[in-house]
Amino acid sequence: MIQDRATLLAAAAMALSLAAPASQAAEPIKIVVIAEASAIAGVAIPNAAKLAADEINKAGGVDGRMIEIVDYDDHNSAADGVRAFQRAASQDKAHFVIASYVSEVVLALEPWAARLKLPMITPGAASNDISMRVHDEYEKNKYTFHGYLTSTAIADSVCDGAKDLLVKGLKVKTAVVMSEDAAWTIPLDAQYLECLPKIGIKVIDHIRLSPDTTDFTPIFNKIEGQKPDIMITGISHVGVQPTVQWANQQVPLAMFGVSSQATSSTFWKDTNGATEGVVFQAAAAPDVAVTAKTIPYSQAYQARYGISSAYCGYTTYDEVYMIAAAVKRAGSTDPDKLVEAMEKTDYVGTIGRIAFYGKDEKFTHAIKTGPGFVTGLMLQWQKGRQVTVWPTEVANAKMTFPSFVKVSN
Amino acid sequence: MRTGRMAIAALIVLAALALLPFGSGEYVLGLLTLAFYFAVFAMSWDLLFGFAGEVNFGPSFLTGIGAYAAGLLNHYAHWPIWACVAVGAVAAVVAGVVLAIPALKLRGPYFGLVTLVAVLMLQNIITLFAGITGGEIGLDLPDVLSIDGATNYWIALAFMGISGAVLFGLSRSAAGLILQAAGQDAIQAAALGFNVAKHKLAAFCVSALFSGLSGAMLVFYMGTVSVGTVVDIAVGVQVIIAAVLGGRRTILGAAIGAVFLIVAGEILRPLGQLSTFVVSGVALAVILFFPGGFLGSFGRRRA
Amino acid sequence: MRPLQIVIDGFAISSLYAMGAIGFTLIFGVSGVLNLSHGAIMVVAAVVAWAAAGSFGAGPYLGALAGVVAGFVTALATYFIVVRPIQTSRAIPREEKEIFVLTGTLLWGIMLQEAVAHFFTSNPKTVLPLIAGVIDIAGERTSINKLVTAAISLAAIGLLWLLVNRTRRGKVLLAASINPRGLTLLGFELSGVYLQVWAIYGVLAGIAGVLLGAFLGVSSDNVGQLTASAFSIVVLGGLGSVTGSLAAAYVVGYLETLTAYLIAPSIRTVPVLLLLVLVVYVRPQGLLGRR
Repeated sequence: MIQDRATLLAAAAMALSLAAPASQAAEPIKIVVIAEASAIAGVAIPNAAKLAADEINKAGGVDGRMIEIVDYDDHNSAADGVRAFQRAASQDKAHFVIASYVSEVVLALEPWAARLKLPMITPGAASNDISMRVHDEYEKNKYTFHGYLTSTAIADSVCDGAKDLLVKGLKVKTAVVMSEDAAWTIPLDAQYLECLPKIGIKVIDHIRLSPDTTDFTPIFNKIEGQKPDIMITGISHVGVQPTVQWANQQVPLAMFGVSSQATSSTFWKDTNGATEGVVFQAAAAPDVAVTAKTIPYSQAYQARYGISSAYCGYTTYDEVYMIAAAVKRAGSTDPDKLVEAMEKTDYVGTIGRIAFYGKDEKFTHAIKTGPGFVTGLMLQWQKGRQVTVWPTEVANAKMTFPSFVKVSN
Repeated sequence: MRTGRMAIAALIVLAALALLPFGSGEYVLGLLTLAFYFAVFAMSWDLLFGFAGEVNFGPSFLTGIGAYAAGLLNHYAHWPIWACVAVGAVAAVVAGVVLAIPALKLRGPYFGLVTLVAVLMLQNIITLFAGITGGEIGLDLPDVLSIDGATNYWIALAFMGISGAVLFGLSRSAAGLILQAAGQDAIQAAALGFNVAKHKLAAFCVSALFSGLSGAMLVFYMGTVSVGTVVDIAVGVQVIIAAVLGGRRTILGAAIGAVFLIVAGEILRPLGQLSTFVVSGVALAVILFFPGGFLGSFGRRRA
Repeated sequence: MRPLQIVIDGFAISSLYAMGAIGFTLIFGVSGVLNLSHGAIMVVAAVVAWAAAGSFGAGPYLGALAGVVAGFVTALATYFIVVRPIQTSRAIPREEKEIFVLTGTLLWGIMLQEAVAHFFTSNPKTVLPLIAGVIDIAGERTSINKLVTAAISLAAIGLLWLLVNRTRRGKVLLAASINPRGLTLLGFELSGVYLQVWAIYGVLAGIAGVLLGAFLGVSSDNVGQLTASAFSIVVLGGLGSVTGSLAAAYVVGYLETLTAYLIAPSIRTVPVLLLLVLVVYVRPQGLLGRR
């Protein structure tokens, strides 16, 4: 019902042209997109997919085959996601699925990708389990690709940023890790506790808070009492509330780490500007030329949809190109051949150079991270804008904090 | 006589539904499969409310227990599906008895609160033990009922048909009528010599049994168990709305209400956030202007 | 741990809880209605205050006022659109009015929640504090907003007490809660009494919503949690007992704060839930309730 046949016109135009053999033009490459369409971040997934498909089709498609995007709303629910996936396989005869930025939904779909032998990639879910399952049962789960950073990689990205910004820049020596008590933070925290000491930050305490928490005063007071130099965060379900209470109570410690809600462009308004000075990890940002493709994409997205793309739009856009390239390499849309071709991906996209870990590595089919590959960014809210403060090569601002925050010893 | 006519009408509808896979796509089948499991949730709730007079604010406590018991067993011990479903149902019955103990002592809002707190506790436990339960990201199951849409549809339809027959039959039996009397006026029913407590306990067990069964079946249809699909308060709220909308004390009405809610929600999906607004508005209007619900006239004339 | 910190924090959050629960208990006490759209009404008030103060540039004071007015209007709408039609309906048998009011207000609450989410997204929002900044209390840095929250809550509750116990109109309300039939025999129109109590409730819920938005921040997703929390406090204190609700709010607030400080923030709400179950099993009339 909520299908997009925008590409149909392009396909029809292609069929008329003499360049492509009619038989191939008749069968488009079908990519089904499953995402939460009512969320600002979620809708970036189908939007970016259509943008990429139109560009590819305009350039002649893949060996004359057009890319057709069909999109379904999963209402952020695993049940709806599974139904959409089943429909993608049996009714739409999809060749590839790009699915959701929510780990719960992606993990629910992963066994279905195996059962129905339908390759799938996620543009935004972070759970380690997605790629670890591929590693543990490769033959069965090889149809799933993890097109985003794993929780462990995200923690590493925060540590890499902390090394430059906090240890070298501000001589930070101690930290308290504060995360919400949830499944997604288990591997994140484990990696924090491992990588922070390696860069010279001693973790004094590790606090896990209930995701239902509304009053953060006791938590901030407790952390402040332990006198660390900084707070390293791992929050997603909560965001506005701790940020506002942090500012209202003038907690003198900076917040640095993962704060998913802070990536939203409306976060400044929602917090009445309390987010000034919050530093958070992200895969992409609108004004930062991570590669030569980043800014053209973000401008094209802005021009077509009137708002800036959320992080999962960048990854989705790259993924459609990667799928197209894999189909070309495989010379077919046969799922097993497609998986094999996808594994050979080495593509410079909007978020960096993308390649997948192999089946003998811990996070099979997750994107490679670190220097030379995807590094992630550290952004900071400054005067109503998200600015990039790390990596230094692409940064467009220096990290500063509100006057009540004391970071240097 | 009314009962007979309703049963015949239900049989005709079931038979027509059974032919649907020959003429419709995967999309409609998937939607109805979910709606059928949901219908069993709502019918179980209606049995408890309509016939034992207890407003259970936390129907998702019972479905959640059934679903998680079955899901954990399959995930960790790899028991076969039927065994997991059976254990899920038994676990839900045990949970139902635990709920019934205060219900036999408490009335109205107090019991309602206990059931509400039960759901919150279950949610808290699942989050606290995220390492085992998968927390908010849920747990995947190695086994599913079937990967074929039509097969899943028939399984769900048969399950709903059998559950509906049992629950409907019970509600029209002598025991059901005693319960109905007890629900409306417990003192009088006791004065007439009926052991109200015993009958109520039985109603709890039956309601819990079917809630647990359908919760467990649902997770094996989806291949995943998570808070958002079987435990969340919002799931329970939908169940209550479905039953009241379809017509209290009718059992079959609850099933109609559930299918209506899911299908209407899907049809209105292009409205985005507003779809829930419209569905709730329609349900509110039905409650205000046709308090008997879709099947209300039947129940009313009986009473 | 510094005990003074726990005292201050617990006091602020408890006062806010009391403010959130008091209107809920008043409505139940006087008219026997459990209003399950309570959380939604508070969220409407908070979000309107946020939008008025921020997007429309009204500033914190006018914004807060707009929020309270929104709470008042929404409460009256709840009464006229949902509660009154059910109470006066002839098609609904008397013994089933309760379940209809519950379901009706529940649906109404969902409608309010979805409307807020549609117009303002479900992202959490925060109301501008009336007075920003922090002060030092015996070495403890405390945000002024927190003290303002506690002060306004207590003042509003105090005014309510005066209204109920010291004015003629208030005594009528009190009488309605004890013996509604007797009141009608004395020539009072019950529907007039109900309207008054819903109006008072609207103001209380509006203030509670705005304070909640300024102190903690709210999202349309919190609607269920807020209603459940008011419901729990009211049952813990004894249904319909205003004093009981006050006591229960402080028990809950301090229990949560102590748990967060002394045990672990991850299990903050668990002891309260356990206490609730215990009370309901052992003393179902609540801490200070009448049988």
